[in-house]
Amino acid sequence: MRAVIAEDSVLLREGVSRLLAESGIEVVATCESADELMVLLPAEKPDVVIVDIRLPPSYTDEGMRAALTIRARHPGVGVLVLSQYVEVGLAMQLLADSADGAGYLLKDRVSNVKDFIDALHRVAAGGSAIDPVIVSALIAKQRNRDPLSRLTPREREVLALMAEGRSNQGIADEFAITLRAVEKYVSSIFSKLDMPSTAGDSKRVLAVLLYLRG
Amino acid sequence: MGAVVPPRVDGSARRPPNYRKVLVISSAGAIAGACLIALAYTGPEVAQPGLSAALACWVTLPYIIAGLIAWRRRPDSRLGMLMVTAGFATFINFLVWSSNDLLYTLGVAAQFLPPVLFLHVFLAFPSGRLESTLDRAVVLAAYGAAALTVPVIVLDADDPRDVLAAVDLPAVADFMHKLQLVLVSAMSLAGIALLIRRRRRSGRPLRASLGLLVDSFSLGLLMIAGLLLAGLFGWTSVQGPLRLATFAVIGTAPIVFLAVLLQARLGRASAAQLLEELGVNPGPAELQDAVARALRDPSAKLAYWVAEFDAYADVDGRQMDPQLGPGRSVTPISQDGRQVALLLHDSGLDDDPRLLSSVAAATGMAIQNAQLQVELRARLEDLRGSRIRILQAEQRERRRLERDLHDGAQQRLVALSLELGKLGYQLSRTSEMRARLDAANAEVSAALAELRDLAHGIHPVAVSDYGLGVALESLATRAPVPVQVVGATEGRLPEPVELAAFYLVSESLANVAKHARATSAVVELKQEATTLIVEVRDDGVGGATTEHGAGLRGLADRVEALGGRMQVWSPVGEGTRVRAEIACGQ
Repeated sequence: MRAVIAEDSVLLREGVSRLLAESGIEVVATCESADELMVLLPAEKPDVVIVDIRLPPSYTDEGMRAALTIRARHPGVGVLVLSQYVEVGLAMQLLADSADGAGYLLKDRVSNVKDFIDALHRVAAGGSAIDPVIVSALIAKQRNRDPLSRLTPREREVLALMAEGRSNQGIADEFAITLRAVEKYVSSIFSKLDMPSTAGDSKRVLAVLLYLRG
Repeated sequence: MGAVVPPRVDGSARRPPNYRKVLVISSAGAIAGACLIALAYTGPEVAQPGLSAALACWVTLPYIIAGLIAWRRRPDSRLGMLMVTAGFATFINFLVWSSNDLLYTLGVAAQFLPPVLFLHVFLAFPSGRLESTLDRAVVLAAYGAAALTVPVIVLDADDPRDVLAAVDLPAVADFMHKLQLVLVSAMSLAGIALLIRRRRRSGRPLRASLGLLVDSFSLGLLMIAGLLLAGLFGWTSVQGPLRLATFAVIGTAPIVFLAVLLQARLGRASAAQLLEELGVNPGPAELQDAVARALRDPSAKLAYWVAEFDAYADVDGRQMDPQLGPGRSVTPISQDGRQVALLLHDSGLDDDPRLLSSVAAATGMAIQNAQLQVELRARLEDLRGSRIRILQAEQRERRRLERDLHDGAQQRLVALSLELGKLGYQLSRTSEMRARLDAANAEVSAALAELRDLAHGIHPVAVSDYGLGVALESLATRAPVPVQVVGATEGRLPEPVELAAFYLVSESLANVAKHARATSAVVELKQEATTLIVEVRDDGVGGATTEHGAGLRGLADRVEALGGRMQVWSPVGEGTRVRAEIACGQ
């Protein structure tokens, strides 16, 4: 797998770069700004790009704009946006009409090596990774409302992992249950929420997020 | 003060002609009129005596009469004297009708004086002075050409009635006569160009309709030029009708000139009424409006001197710089010998220094209250400005702090937690070291979460970076009760406005969580022209006031500093409604 990192902090750029290398991911290029990223992208042809949301020169929305541009112009490249803060509205802007190959995580998530690398693989493979903070805030908002209140606690946990972009196998591994058990939970959730069951993990992500956003 | 020049007042001391002079001139005018009729009927070469006499009187007497009235009523303008002169010069030209050879020769000698004097009058209107060097050069050249008549008469022995004919050089005389025709018509055309240039330079909003009429008399100059050229090229067929039309236009001019000059006089009468109309203690804007009406200059503005700030202020107390643009003039306004304000007005009014000085005097007498009010407003404006500056300085400082946290502590902690994570990942899940590393990492994560909240509290960076929409959705999502966000802004608004709206919603929703015992809330955004309206409503217990919570009071201060206002309705048992209107004009 080929990755490019756009991050202005040397400390983090080097840290993430080493983490990826140690996990068997080839870091083909690193850069400090969105402009550099856009220049080297066509030549490097990475599977995934890790981009800091705040990049020079103004340190406002440069990273986000670069992410949206890449998603529009290079649909084959997964984009994982890292940020010190996460906003529901920004997640929805990033996903827009498809969660394919898109990720939006707090920077803190790099400390959980297994989950982070897993998320990166998902995004590179066309799946998605949405920060648990966003998902839990959305679920908390709807918790006491019908029909979410009719879900069992375990169903709610499964719903959260679905919204984060996990596959059924990933959810099965997380809870140490069988794939069949996960499938049963999923179909029960969709039927309780009166949602059409969707094929494909990332389509499921967008459907669930839109449902939770209300 | 350096940019401002005092108005020109020279000429205002010129005295009107006394009654004897008036009597002499008007008698001479009457005699001239009678002579013209007599000459028309007795002249050997006059074709239609009735029509000729009428036309002759039409281009002569109006100049004498209008000139005399203008001279008396507006002695500050030399135009009256000039018009009287033009009238008599035209009269002398008509002596060519006389059967007496001496009078005939005198008439011929004066033949170019009327067109040149008309040119002079048109260019000198309304002050009577030729303002620019070009004006003076054109008029002088025209007089020079008119003076060539004398050698022409002396050289032209072909004319049997010419009593001055001395040398017989008809070819030279003919050439010089043609030269005169060319020169005078050229100067008339140059005069038109000058009038057009003057109009372009100072488009006079003042007395606009009459100004247009006056300018239309450049048509008169054009016709004079045409008439002279017709003489030069011998276009006899057009000469007759052209002469009629030219005379008609030329004879109307003095009447219009007089009307314009006297209108300023009416203005002076309105200046006298100014004080009466103002009554006691007019406000700053009332005074300015009355002055504009008295001057008939809707562009007239007062610049009040505010000593405290060492600056001029407009009627609303906003500081202003009385720089004079093209076509603008200034008249100082004094009270008890102290200059208290400036009257900024159209330069066209400089032609009437008496009107200006009487309006300025009346304004000076009535200005005290308006002056005090402007000072007060200027102080309020200053206060408002300093509140905005304090607010902006605070925002700058908060943004800097947030950036420092983001670039410093937060990045380092993330890097640290990354290293701890990597170390732990290499160890077996069951090892004791792994457990301790994971615990340490959990501490770092907790620190990062706290730091994130702290940074967000210092400066909600999403508002600045992505706007109210994104920031408010996060607020609504995190709120403990269901919050519905309705409406949106039209694109991005100035950062202070967005921040004020964000803090208002943030604080209100925090109050909903803490005090209101509400089950739901609505956040509504509405943008009306240059005002952003933000409203937060809940269905809780009510009873909130800006006096009690320091939070709400601080919000009100912030909104008011931006020139907005905030209101809280919170009747007990009926929920709370916080509404702010914030000016968001760019």
